Amino acid sequence: MPPRIRRPYLRTPQALPSPSHRCQCICKTRARQFSSTPKHATRVRDEMFRWLNGPGFVFRHPLPGSTNYLNAYDRYGRLVRAKNRLVGKNEKEKAEDEEKIDENADEEVNEDGEIVPKKPQKIKEAGIKETKNEPALPRETMEDLMPFPLNRQFRSQHVLSEELKDAIYERVMAEGQSVRTVSAALGVEMSRVGAVVRLKALEKEMEKQGKPIAFSYAKAVLGMLPSTPYVPYAPVTHESINDLPVHRATETQIFHPVSESRHFTRRDAGKVFDRELKPAEERVPHTELVQLEKWRHEGKIEVERIRLQREMEAKDVQSKKALERKRKEREAREMRKVDTERSEFRFQDIRVESVGRSGRSKEGVGARYGIPHQDRKKGQIKIPMRVA
Amino acid sequence: MRKRFHGLKRIKLRQSWNKYNLFNLSRVEPPKNIERTFFQQKWTAKALTRAYHGETIREKQWTRMFRRTIRSVVPMDYKMLAEKDGSEQAEGRGSGLDPPPDQKPKPFPRTPYLNMTYAPTERRLDTAIFRALFASSTRQARQFVVHGYVRVNGKEMIYPGYQLNPGDMFQVEPDRVLYATGAPKDRFERRAGRKIRARYSKKASNSEGSEDAEPQTPKSDPSHEPTTTDKTPKESLQSLLSQAKELLATPSTSLTAKRKQDLRAFQRTVKRTLGRPKTLTATSLDSQLAEIVARMITAPNTGLKSPSPPKPEVPVLSTPELQAEAATLDSTQLKTLRDALKDARENPVDPSKPYATPWRPREWMSAFAFVPRYLEVHQRVCAAVYLRHPVARPGLAEVPTPYGTEINTLAHNWYLRRR
Repeated sequence: MPPRIRRPYLRTPQALPSPSHRCQCICKTRARQFSSTPKHATRVRDEMFRWLNGPGFVFRHPLPGSTNYLNAYDRYGRLVRAKNRLVGKNEKEKAEDEEKIDENADEEVNEDGEIVPKKPQKIKEAGIKETKNEPALPRETMEDLMPFPLNRQFRSQHVLSEELKDAIYERVMAEGQSVRTVSAALGVEMSRVGAVVRLKALEKEMEKQGKPIAFSYAKAVLGMLPSTPYVPYAPVTHESINDLPVHRATETQIFHPVSESRHFTRRDAGKVFDRELKPAEERVPHTELVQLEKWRHEGKIEVERIRLQREMEAKDVQSKKALERKRKEREAREMRKVDTERSEFRFQDIRVESVGRSGRSKEGVGARYGIPHQDRKKGQIKIPMRVA
Repeated sequence: MRKRFHGLKRIKLRQSWNKYNLFNLSRVEPPKNIERTFFQQKWTAKALTRAYHGETIREKQWTRMFRRTIRSVVPMDYKMLAEKDGSEQAEGRGSGLDPPPDQKPKPFPRTPYLNMTYAPTERRLDTAIFRALFASSTRQARQFVVHGYVRVNGKEMIYPGYQLNPGDMFQVEPDRVLYATGAPKDRFERRAGRKIRARYSKKASNSEGSEDAEPQTPKSDPSHEPTTTDKTPKESLQSLLSQAKELLATPSTSLTAKRKQDLRAFQRTVKRTLGRPKTLTATSLDSQLAEIVARMITAPNTGLKSPSPPKPEVPVLSTPELQAEAATLDSTQLKTLRDALKDARENPVDPSKPYATPWRPREWMSAFAFVPRYLEVHQRVCAAVYLRHPVARPGLAEVPTPYGTEINTLAHNWYLRRR
């Protein structure tokens, strides 16, 4: 059988009267086509280019000073919140327009599960100045922060601005505040505070070594994301810092009859679920905030509360120090160090029994004769599981 | 490898910033499940979601990774916790008193647990790199890992399937990130890059013969004092090199092995820099040597002063005419000028880079740009920390998935293995 020669597509863009954008596209990029392969033009592909050059064109470049997600636009590629603004301006006065923005901000708090405080002083500032004549673009609503139109349970959440990161680093490293204090003061999770300090330290280190820093990239990316600003004397809460993890034991529903006269508290309810389960005020990350509030309810004056808190912190620090000392002592007892010119040798006593009864315990050291490896078994992880 | 990654006929959403993907995302609709069996619905949901979440992971692997337990948190108000002990919720007939009819409590948003079906894939290193906006797709992120551009906690990690632990810091080579997220070069820029590469390689092959002679030069003038600041950068570099050599030549008891390694690394850097006179940065090298010297106990206390110029109010310009003109500007104009100069210095035109310079973000990126809360990203150094595992909270699931609760529920049901 002779080789089949594929007939070129009849519906090539050159052969058909095509939409103007397509023509433009072809003329601009390539003057002549040397390829004899038929251009793969289908209806959907044409549609795609029509969309990309039409309603979708707004996504080609970032919207200056704002996020630019699919859900913020209608199907004709118009910014929904800008449209609202124009309609509002025709009907009402400018002042009313501002009120409307305020309402939007309020609505955000209602819908959101997190505690986001109202930022009345920020709203005017947060708007974007498009041109000199036009008023500022209103702040994004919840709807505008959804990158996936089908998934309404996912939103692009605010990230820390560079100023806020600098402030965190300054407070922890220069002023010597504890991570807990900084976290409570700025409304940033404790783990995030630690991470910011670590990353800023890395940046300083790289600067010192003269390694390149990606300033332009950082500026561009932070311009595309919603970010929490830093206001020195009225910090904006970044996220909820008192997240209570849902315990496995509480996932079941329990019918537990108690007498009507009994004062049945949170602590009692926890014990019904699990004997070891502590009440929420002891399981949240910032237990000291709860304690401070309790002292306030007891009628202690501020000076007294501050003194008590200082005492509590000091006690905490001391217990931590004692633990650390103990750990070091144990290490010194178990580890013998021999320092030579070239390297430091460390000798540690190993117990044979540490392999356990099955001989497979992770604490065991060295190869055990007669115990086959499990690394060819199904489901065994052979890549590193942690990097120290 | 499949034929089409971004198909237009049968829509499969992918973890990528491609414009095909954007178009698909703009027109995707949930599958119509009328007159379909439960099995069929689950099958479709599984196929759609798996095309997005970890399509490089084999199905067997994923079923092993899947966990039916879902992490979630509830934000607590510390004031409420201090004020009430929870007994008010057990009042009345056991489920709390009814509120007065005029003040109805706001409905508490529901927790979208089942949107967290694919939470285990978010723990993978390649997915985390994509989520931190360091790569334009998960496949590219995977390639970066495999090619050795990624470090976890400062150590090179070549396994894209590495499961990040809370607190792990990963960094990607900044140049790779700029390449992945930057606009591509056009034809002329590519040609300019080729020319530079050709010239550089020719130069390197010419200078190879003379490389043996090069270390000899600093030896010839060991009397150079490093404190003089009016030398040319090349001379100062050579003097630094000779100083490092002298330090190395001292008896071995005064230096530990680590210090010696540092010094040798320093020497290598200096030699490399001397080979390329355009990139002379005596200041940074000077500070590097100063640091090494400071760490040594036996080192002579030489007055190593960094020859950095004093920072004037008026930025330094190339010609005196421009300088004079700049001096006449007012403070705001000066600030603008200084910012522009700073920008030009930070983001220069450099044809040797694999991306368009000055760097600008690639097209269609902004529609995909978001950073989930379980990561803390520092864009300046292209590093991020995996803070914790993603969680569901009232009204919000932290796993970025393009499909809604119904499809995710069906997919979750599929993996419960009760078909």
